[in-house]
Amino acid sequence: MLIFALLIFSLEGIAQKQRFPKPEFGTGYSQPTPVTPEPRALALEYTDVFVLLIVLSLASWIAIKNRSRKKMVWLSVFTLLYFGFYRDGCICSIGSVQNVALTIFDPGYAISITTLLFFLIPLVFTLYFGRTFCAGACSLGAIQDLLIVNPLSMPQWLRQILGLIPYLYLSLALLFAATGTDFIICRYDPFVGIFRMDAAFHMVVLGIAFLLMGMFIARPYCRFLCPYGVLLNWMSRFSKWHLPITPAACIQCKLCSDSCPFDAIDYPTDEKLVKKRIWGVNRFLVYVILIPIWILTGGFAGSMAHTWISKANSKVYLAELLIRNPEVQNDEKNLDVQAFLSSGKSMEMLVSEATIIRQKFYTGCWIAGGFMGLVIGMTLLNQIIFRTKYDYQPDKGNCYSCVRCVSYCPVK
Amino acid sequence: MKNKGIVIFLIILTIVIVTVVTLDYYSSKPDELPENPYALNLTSFEKVDNSQIIYTEIRDFTINFSEPAGICCTKDQIYVVGDQKMQIIDSYGKLIHEFKFDQKPTCVYTSAQNIFIGFRKSVSVLTGDGVKIMDWNSFSDSTVITSITEKSGIIFIADAGKRIIRKYNPEGLSLGVIEGKSENEQIHGFIIPSPYFDIAFNADGEFWVVNPGKHALENYTINGDLRTWWKATSVRIEGFSGCCNPAHFAFLPDGSFVTSEKGRVRIKIYKPSGEFLGVVAAPSKFEQNSHPPDLATDNSGNIYALDLDKKMIRQFVKKEK
Repeated sequence: MLIFALLIFSLEGIAQKQRFPKPEFGTGYSQPTPVTPEPRALALEYTDVFVLLIVLSLASWIAIKNRSRKKMVWLSVFTLLYFGFYRDGCICSIGSVQNVALTIFDPGYAISITTLLFFLIPLVFTLYFGRTFCAGACSLGAIQDLLIVNPLSMPQWLRQILGLIPYLYLSLALLFAATGTDFIICRYDPFVGIFRMDAAFHMVVLGIAFLLMGMFIARPYCRFLCPYGVLLNWMSRFSKWHLPITPAACIQCKLCSDSCPFDAIDYPTDEKLVKKRIWGVNRFLVYVILIPIWILTGGFAGSMAHTWISKANSKVYLAELLIRNPEVQNDEKNLDVQAFLSSGKSMEMLVSEATIIRQKFYTGCWIAGGFMGLVIGMTLLNQIIFRTKYDYQPDKGNCYSCVRCVSYCPVK
Repeated sequence: MKNKGIVIFLIILTIVIVTVVTLDYYSSKPDELPENPYALNLTSFEKVDNSQIIYTEIRDFTINFSEPAGICCTKDQIYVVGDQKMQIIDSYGKLIHEFKFDQKPTCVYTSAQNIFIGFRKSVSVLTGDGVKIMDWNSFSDSTVITSITEKSGIIFIADAGKRIIRKYNPEGLSLGVIEGKSENEQIHGFIIPSPYFDIAFNADGEFWVVNPGKHALENYTINGDLRTWWKATSVRIEGFSGCCNPAHFAFLPDGSFVTSEKGRVRIKIYKPSGEFLGVVAAPSKFEQNSHPPDLATDNSGNIYALDLDKKMIRQFVKKEK
């Protein structure tokens, strides 16, 4: 760790230097807060990838082999300090989803190799070891996890309804990124302002609200918002080695049943309940048949909403604004309008660009709506699918591998 | 209900979160934005305390130029170039001579024997009577000549396009260039973002060059070795700001620097050490965000500013104490 710290400080010396002296604005001028941190030297970016690999390896080892909650907590603290406060929370794997989408749909944008690695490495680790990224390598997860005080168990129906939000958030994030509209995951990251200690007031309120909520609803952002969590959930379901609650045969002592603050422990299947729902075969068939209808309905609903959603794009909004209120061109205080007028572009060019973007939104909203329809259809289908479980075991998709449950297990 | 208080608290937090996100989303629309809180109010920097103004304008005379470009002066004559001509006028504005050229000059310098007219990519050498002796044309395509000076038979030509100072003998033979580079990492050549690159010798024969990108004035030996430099980066009256300032400078007989700036157009004086001394002409005297006036001084310490916007020469003298 000491060598690593020395490496970090020595690399600071090769970070970018100002070619010119910064303008001296020491006369009462308040500088705008930059949206993103200053770029880092390439060597430091690769160092970050290296650190991510080390932290993920350690988290996986702790979760699967060492099974020490204490060590996982200390690793979370390191992650919070390094990826959160030191690295200003950027770039993070969660936000990298948008960079990947943008690089796919915008030929003019090339994702950096380090950003791509930040996107891919946690997914690969999850495919092998479960969501150990969430347990020890995610700064957003760490800050919430360390502040869990009195976690309440939520009813399943509420969890499942709220559990749809990450899919919706992911759909919108990809849609907005692909159309070059906005990086909403970064914009509404509730904790990044805390990490940088320079957030606007309302973002501080947002961050504090999430942290206060997290005292009673464990990891609210991770469970009911995180769009990257959707991908991790999928990967984790197929993970080769996942944290087991018990190291040997489960003795069904039920001691672990209430240990998970995230309600991510599956109980043994209740055979009586299965028998009662034997009529569910017909229901299953109906739900399967309904899935394409859900997809079409979702796609159609999305396409109907595309006009409204596309207003999130500044060009579309500006074009509509100038058509609806041409007099706004005379508003010298309207920075966006004045920036457009001074750009030399004609109104026709703006409208043409806005039309192309809106067409992209139309297609994107069809896909996003269809995806949400699929998610709803599959969620309903899952209500009537019983996978027989004999032991108390982690819900592989939703378990964060935080190792809390392990200490409750009397089996050694 | 179990945990009723906590549930109410959570509902309130949920409402707060939704409200914050909704308000942020809608408040960032072009017609919903608040007034720019980060607008830089430059007007406040244009105000100059009267006590700092140590010169006064005693005379100005309109010149017959549509695009004046450069000025220099001798004991009793002022040389102005612009359009496609050079005018020699006396210190009261009376035209003495006028010479025509086939291209637009950018700068002018008079030595004891000759007049050097700088064009964008060439230099014409004239006798004191205005008879052309020779043209120097062997410059680069990207050359932009902005200033000429001379000492001990060596003519120095500032090339803003190539960011170098060219040295020539009186016959037009190249004697090398000064690149302003040094092993000292603080000095890395001339930074010339716009075609304002001035050079001059002071009364002690010291060669000074403005490095506008660094807001600095640098003193070189004739061989091009850096001897000393000073800089003043600030938006306040004491310093230079923007991409590249000062745009022009000249020397008073005591070695003080007279500087003119673009953007926030103003003329100031710095001591030979580089310490700010006072203001010659405050921004209120010029059209702002416009051209910087070219400067000339005479042996009496008078300052002549060629106002490119008002097409006039403005004469400033030191205020009586």
